[in-house]
Amino acid sequence: MNYRTVLTTCVYCGCGCGLYLEVLDDELVGTLPCKTHPINEGGLCIKGWSAHEFVTSEKRLRRPLVKKDGHFVEVDWGEAMGRAAAGLGKIKEERGPQSLALLSSAKCTNEENFLLMKFARGVLGTNNIDHCARLCHASTVAGLAQAFGSGAMTNSTPEIEEADCILVTGSNTTEAHPLIASRILRAKEKGAKLIVVDPRGIQLSSYADIHVRQRLGTDVAWINGVMNIIISEGWHDKDFIERRTEGFEELEKKVKEHTPERAEQITGISQVDLRRIAETYAKAERASIIYAMGITQHTTGTDNVLSLCNLALLTGNVGKRGSGVNPLRGQNNVQGACDMGCLPNLLSGYQSIASDELRGKFEVEWGVKLPKEPGLTVVEMMEAAAGGRIKGMFILGENPLLSDPDINHVREALQRLDLLVVLDIFLTETAELADVVLPGVSFAEKDGTFTATDRRVQRVRKAIEPLGEARPDWQIICELAQAMGGEGFQYKSPEEVFGEIARLTPIYAGITYPRIEERGVQWPCRSEEDPGTEFMHEKEFSRGLGKFTAVDFREPAELADEDYPLMLTTGRSAFQFHTGSLSRKSPSLRRELDEAYLEMNPLDAGELGVPEGEAVKVSSREG
Amino acid sequence: MEALRAKVAQLLKEKAISGFLGLKLEHGHPSPFLFTGEEGLDLLVVSDTRFPLTKLLQRLTSKYPEEKFGVMVRGCDERSLIELHKDNQVNLEHLVTVGVACSQELAQRCGCKVPYPSQFEVGEPATGVEGGGELESIEGMAEDERFNFWMEQFGKCIKCYGCRNSCPLCYCSECTLEDSFLVPPGETPPKAPIFHLIRAFHTVGRCIDCGLCEEACPVGIPLRTIYKKLGQVVSELFGYSPGKEVEGRSPLSFLGEKPFKEQG
Repeated sequence: MNYRTVLTTCVYCGCGCGLYLEVLDDELVGTLPCKTHPINEGGLCIKGWSAHEFVTSEKRLRRPLVKKDGHFVEVDWGEAMGRAAAGLGKIKEERGPQSLALLSSAKCTNEENFLLMKFARGVLGTNNIDHCARLCHASTVAGLAQAFGSGAMTNSTPEIEEADCILVTGSNTTEAHPLIASRILRAKEKGAKLIVVDPRGIQLSSYADIHVRQRLGTDVAWINGVMNIIISEGWHDKDFIERRTEGFEELEKKVKEHTPERAEQITGISQVDLRRIAETYAKAERASIIYAMGITQHTTGTDNVLSLCNLALLTGNVGKRGSGVNPLRGQNNVQGACDMGCLPNLLSGYQSIASDELRGKFEVEWGVKLPKEPGLTVVEMMEAAAGGRIKGMFILGENPLLSDPDINHVREALQRLDLLVVLDIFLTETAELADVVLPGVSFAEKDGTFTATDRRVQRVRKAIEPLGEARPDWQIICELAQAMGGEGFQYKSPEEVFGEIARLTPIYAGITYPRIEERGVQWPCRSEEDPGTEFMHEKEFSRGLGKFTAVDFREPAELADEDYPLMLTTGRSAFQFHTGSLSRKSPSLRRELDEAYLEMNPLDAGELGVPEGEAVKVSSREG
Repeated sequence: MEALRAKVAQLLKEKAISGFLGLKLEHGHPSPFLFTGEEGLDLLVVSDTRFPLTKLLQRLTSKYPEEKFGVMVRGCDERSLIELHKDNQVNLEHLVTVGVACSQELAQRCGCKVPYPSQFEVGEPATGVEGGGELESIEGMAEDERFNFWMEQFGKCIKCYGCRNSCPLCYCSECTLEDSFLVPPGETPPKAPIFHLIRAFHTVGRCIDCGLCEEACPVGIPLRTIYKKLGQVVSELFGYSPGKEVEGRSPLSFLGEKPFKEQG
């Protein structure tokens, strides 16, 4: 008889809540919140409370699969690895490394992402590695890096409740990041002003001091309009602009063109409301901006992010506690997958692959030559696969068939490949198209680290043994690399991999497993003495001065017309997650919500004669 | 702390119990753990961090109904065991409780009337905290104001079920909160006030006012205030205080000789 609880980090969203997996007689039986954890302090959302449920689902892959005559056959590890290694090797040999591409996983650990990055660049010889961050916060990484020099959430989750004003836009926080929403509500109860700019009424908007609904895709216009008011009223922080920023003159010039009248015309937000937003945000001592997909998932995503950075710089609301520009990252370790360099142009720690010096450091450590030219992004990979230029792909714990835009195109692309190898814990829609499926393990069956949305590197701990013949993903990557002749993949543990990450990645340099034994450490953490960074850009920005960028409003790439008269946007539910690969295997979550749904303005629904709960067929220009 | 470890070591050594459910300090955080041998007892701790130990205990007792378990109890834990025993969810005869008196600081934080169990091995009895906390100020509100207050509080709910999941007395295998006819599934906030009132009514005659529900609530709904009020009503009408005595049953768990109050 044994009963224990294992402290680990939640596998759903990027909040990074601490939880205990309950293990009774070596079986997972439940989840408990960690009462003393700095993020969740004893609370969890329904996904956290049921985080153990999908782990032991009967649908879990327990043996390797290989497709023979169009059907999957269970095989032993030797055969599956042999086929994967030989297949990837043959394509590399015959068509060159650039005909291979890899997708990494924002659900897997930092160690696994780092190893896959090393495998791609060091063994396969390609920079064609990317992951689903491309489709969510790549515009954040680009925009924040341009403005501040670092592409991550500037402040910390616990600090949110210290803000005097919180501007939430494009984030349905109570649904998507519930334990961050709790901080927003707490700040509000302490007297902070809450501004919600969202096309829909959301749970937070009923607690907002100001809630406005912009016309879809007009974010640059309302932000420029608000800045116009701030500058003409003289509410901007002239001292901060003078000391800490550059590019103000160009911004001022551009913003002058965006009068409140024009902003109202474009966005549908009244001048009165724009003025209230401007005054409330600019006059707050500590104003925090919180955003997510509603800002980034646009053709103008980077412009939207840059505009929010402009607003924060203009009012000096960055580089101090309780302020900042705070993108909420969606997946448990999407921050880490980016940090680990699973991006076509960057090595771990956002070190440019094009830099001879930085690339050279990795070449010395790994003892191999690395490709210099940046690789393909997710979207370009699919394009190249459809066009026959990519012949083989390795996909780790990602389901692009559901998560990418235009799934018909993705299906065609993946079907055209000579070889598709998928490492996952379930037979996802993507895995069904694979030639070889390697069964990995869930967060409950392995050790490692996840990096939460506020740059907090935290431990993941093994609670139970792998199911069936499944193996920890980090071991599978190492075995595959070695089967292909890769050297330097003989790690005894994820901790050893982490040591290598710290050696090669300055922002992680001071982090070790013993240091994050009790509480996570937030990067940048450059030495063992460095306590880590709660909020960034305090004395100077990562790039030196904060940079204003004058941004013009552009309409979205697709607008409503006579043939397609309605606009569709994405949304979130607290009860399901991502493509449902995990959450749809969880009985508690399925009981709440088992299928996706569409919300429509009652007036549109009335005109179309669609009653509540009716099935509708949705078609777009893409299909 | 040493007294607790010595006591548990003795119980295990004498085979008076098969395991002791207490708190283990690991990775810098206290968490529930079943101690089954003398080794490892150096990690057994007393802490101001509370977990629903008597709820977790039910997992063990239902899988091993013949075994005897030891469990660390505070005042609230002991009250919950008494109520669970009356509801046939645990058998006190199969349990050995080792009592811990809470610190004054914890008693204050919990607003606990009796912050110690009937017998304890560790700690000094702290002074109980009288009064209903927020209840008085809420009861002082005008009806409209009070209704609005509660609707605003319930509107914050993210339907995590943490209140139910942390409640030592919530043991039903089918939970009315998941009845889709009463509470439409998949909505946040859940339908108000019905979701919260269902739970409130199900605590009547059972709630031992431990406050673990509020500790688990990520959005700070003062749930305990409602349950406290219902507790007062039960106490006034039936003279019953859940968890107080092993004798007597909760007035809502049986139909007595006079199930209805006489009119007039």
